[in-house]
Amino acid sequence: MDVSQYLEIFLDETREHLQNLNTEILNLEQDPENEDTVNEIFRAAHSLKGMAGTMGYKRMQTLTHDMENVFSEVRNGTIKIKSHMIDILFQCLDALEEYTTNIQENSDEGTNDNEALIKLLNDCLKPDGAQEETPAPESTAGKPAAAASGGSKWSSIPLDEAQKLVLGEAVKQGKKVYGITVKVQESCILKAARAFLVFKAVEELGEILVSAPSAQDIEDEKFELDFSIIVITDSPLDRVLADIKSVSEIEEAEGAEMTDFGGTEEEAASPSSPAAEKAEKSKEKSVPAKTETAKASGAENAPAAKTGAAKQEKKSNTKAVGNRTVRVDIEKLDVLMNLVSELIIAKNSLVSATTTQEGREGNAAVDSQIEYLENVTTSLHESVMKVRMVPIESVVNKFPRMIRDLSKKLDKKMDLQMTGEETELDRTVVDEIGDPLMHLLRNSADHGLESAEVRAERGKPEVGSIFLNAYQDGNNVIIEVGDDGNGIDVENVKNKAIERGTVTPEQALNMTDKEIIDLLFLPSFSTAKEVTDVSGRGVGLDVVKSKIETLGGEVEVKTQLGEGSTWIIRLPLTLAIIQALMVEVGGEKYAISLNSVTTLENIAPSDVKLVQSEEVIHLRGSVIPLIRLNEVLDIESTRKENENMIVAIVKKGDKLAGLVVDKLMGQQEIVIKSLGKFVDKTRIISGATILGDGEVALILDANVLI
Amino acid sequence: MEELKNNGGAKQFIVIRVGEEQYGIDIKYVDNIIHMCSITRVPKVALYVKGVINVRGEVIPVMDIRTKMGLMEAEYTKNTRIVIVKSEQQGFVGLIVDAVKEVVTLEVDGIEKVSYDNKSGKTMFVTGVGKHQGSLISVLDLNEILTE
Repeated sequence: MDVSQYLEIFLDETREHLQNLNTEILNLEQDPENEDTVNEIFRAAHSLKGMAGTMGYKRMQTLTHDMENVFSEVRNGTIKIKSHMIDILFQCLDALEEYTTNIQENSDEGTNDNEALIKLLNDCLKPDGAQEETPAPESTAGKPAAAASGGSKWSSIPLDEAQKLVLGEAVKQGKKVYGITVKVQESCILKAARAFLVFKAVEELGEILVSAPSAQDIEDEKFELDFSIIVITDSPLDRVLADIKSVSEIEEAEGAEMTDFGGTEEEAASPSSPAAEKAEKSKEKSVPAKTETAKASGAENAPAAKTGAAKQEKKSNTKAVGNRTVRVDIEKLDVLMNLVSELIIAKNSLVSATTTQEGREGNAAVDSQIEYLENVTTSLHESVMKVRMVPIESVVNKFPRMIRDLSKKLDKKMDLQMTGEETELDRTVVDEIGDPLMHLLRNSADHGLESAEVRAERGKPEVGSIFLNAYQDGNNVIIEVGDDGNGIDVENVKNKAIERGTVTPEQALNMTDKEIIDLLFLPSFSTAKEVTDVSGRGVGLDVVKSKIETLGGEVEVKTQLGEGSTWIIRLPLTLAIIQALMVEVGGEKYAISLNSVTTLENIAPSDVKLVQSEEVIHLRGSVIPLIRLNEVLDIESTRKENENMIVAIVKKGDKLAGLVVDKLMGQQEIVIKSLGKFVDKTRIISGATILGDGEVALILDANVLI
Repeated sequence: MEELKNNGGAKQFIVIRVGEEQYGIDIKYVDNIIHMCSITRVPKVALYVKGVINVRGEVIPVMDIRTKMGLMEAEYTKNTRIVIVKSEQQGFVGLIVDAVKEVVTLEVDGIEKVSYDNKSGKTMFVTGVGKHQGSLISVLDLNEILTE
């Protein structure tokens, strides 16, 4: 069977499961007794195994199978989690990650059998002491047992009062009620489609009263290999089962007539009864049912049966979420976004075409329609933007694991606290932000935090703390990464800079602390005394800075020697389309992001004062430096000397500046286009946009001007 | 002809005129040739960068090949064209040329290499000189033209 078309989905989901495993195993390390965590890990390992098996990746399947075995034992309480097991599990995850990478690159999992790891895993299975013999047979007995019980799974469908009433009515009317459990083949890929066909076949004969999982979940493929239904029909059971089996890729359909609804009532009373209880029951039932066939197919059925148990719990989980999602290729979204951009440009052209035809009668209708169009395009843009927004969770989730590993590697105790993982950013930004963040965290772990002795000396807690906080601030998202370590030693940086010839000693004397710290962002500037393989190769901070700048963001650092440092990354929520203030300077049109504009002022030339030969204005109690845009842009102003000046007050952080422009043209939604590498050296211009008349206007970066 | 192509023995060039001289641009780099249009000036860039233009919804930087070669700037005429070329490093760039004449096929063997002893500026941008129907065509080194 050709599975290549499912490769993408497989890779995506595998990554998700691996991430999930990483997180949960970390949790487990903190709280080895947590049943939910164990169950979650078990489920993820199981799904991984199933997926790998379907795709034919045998090695991956074997490894996950053994992991699953370990967790199944942990779940049964026969073995306890120990710290060396956590290490082994992490190694397993790394091995799985390697398989995944191999698969992504060569569509092949590679040849590493990881036998050593598998052996370690199997060693974990051996319980301490005398119990050694007992759990093993018990578990093997349990597996086929559970498998056999799969047949009567329908009996555990919870029924509410109304449904029971309907069933009772049906029986009174002489109809038959069957409980049926249908099992699809393990190799089946379009499970939901098969299930749908089964539903259709059954509905031709009668009525499906209830199904487990719910019809919605089945449609969304939220079930493992089997599902159960309760059918009201006139037809005999054999007929129904035969019709179900006629659907291809259906392995088995079992059922029985239901007459006693009391039995189900009991089950219904405890729909979320714990797995243990269910296992008990199934064991009881299965002892006599342990037939030859069950034994023969035991190996294949075992996982499926376990799924059954897992599924029952999962059901209560997924139901609560109930999100309906579609996986979409990011490229398709890019195309959509580009089309929206084109639409907005076209809309702008339409607006400018109608406004230039002034004096024509009967334009009111056109105007109102254009206004409507503007509303629609703006909403459309917002919706597409929202679709593209993803929580930064997907990126930051891998950090706790990284910090744990670093902690072992560097032999420093440290703890990572994260907040705001749910903060959303444009997908493209989220994809790119991972590396810079990782770098800053590594820096904090390696350079920031002091060694245990120094920390003790300074009276700091033994465990160093590293934090990552993300939150939204207006149209920006702020991500702060920091530590309570040593902070940046400005003198040290200064000496290093002089030593390297980056600055002369005279220059260094006149530099502020901030300017010196900014030197850290220069290429090849590393102050680590030793180069470790964690950080210190000097390829770091400049890359961090340039990456963040290409995303339209900024990075700054606040540091206090001896107390720690915080790196603050500010990123725009959206990249492609912004609201801009259009202005004219010397006859040329420029756009300024409306985000940075606070107010517009009309200033008389006489109000301009000189402070240290810089022009400033007084505005509501604050002194604001003036920037004459025509001077910055090398062009003659069209404003006459004695005329009042139009000043746009812009802010960056808590700094303000007044930009003197010749004319205001209004607010416009603009699509940001790159200027191309050829001219992007001009930092005051952050991009260009195409106006309604097809002309290009440049976008001024107020942040650079201030 | 077909045979020559297979050997990589012949290449097609767009012939442009700058001043009195003819230059050839390898056709594989040429994306589009457009008439002169309104150029938005970009401040604080090299003198030869005239600004940016809108070509089918994309913003593309434009440079004046005369200024880049150290020639006097000339008035734009009805013959003036912007040749949009695509380079791997710089992406799309428009070159303002005095005129675009024709497309010619030159045999690679027939293009004579130019020595770089002569540092008179202009020749820096030329990789070789080919002959076509009795006139000389200097083959432009686009990478050299597009680097600052």
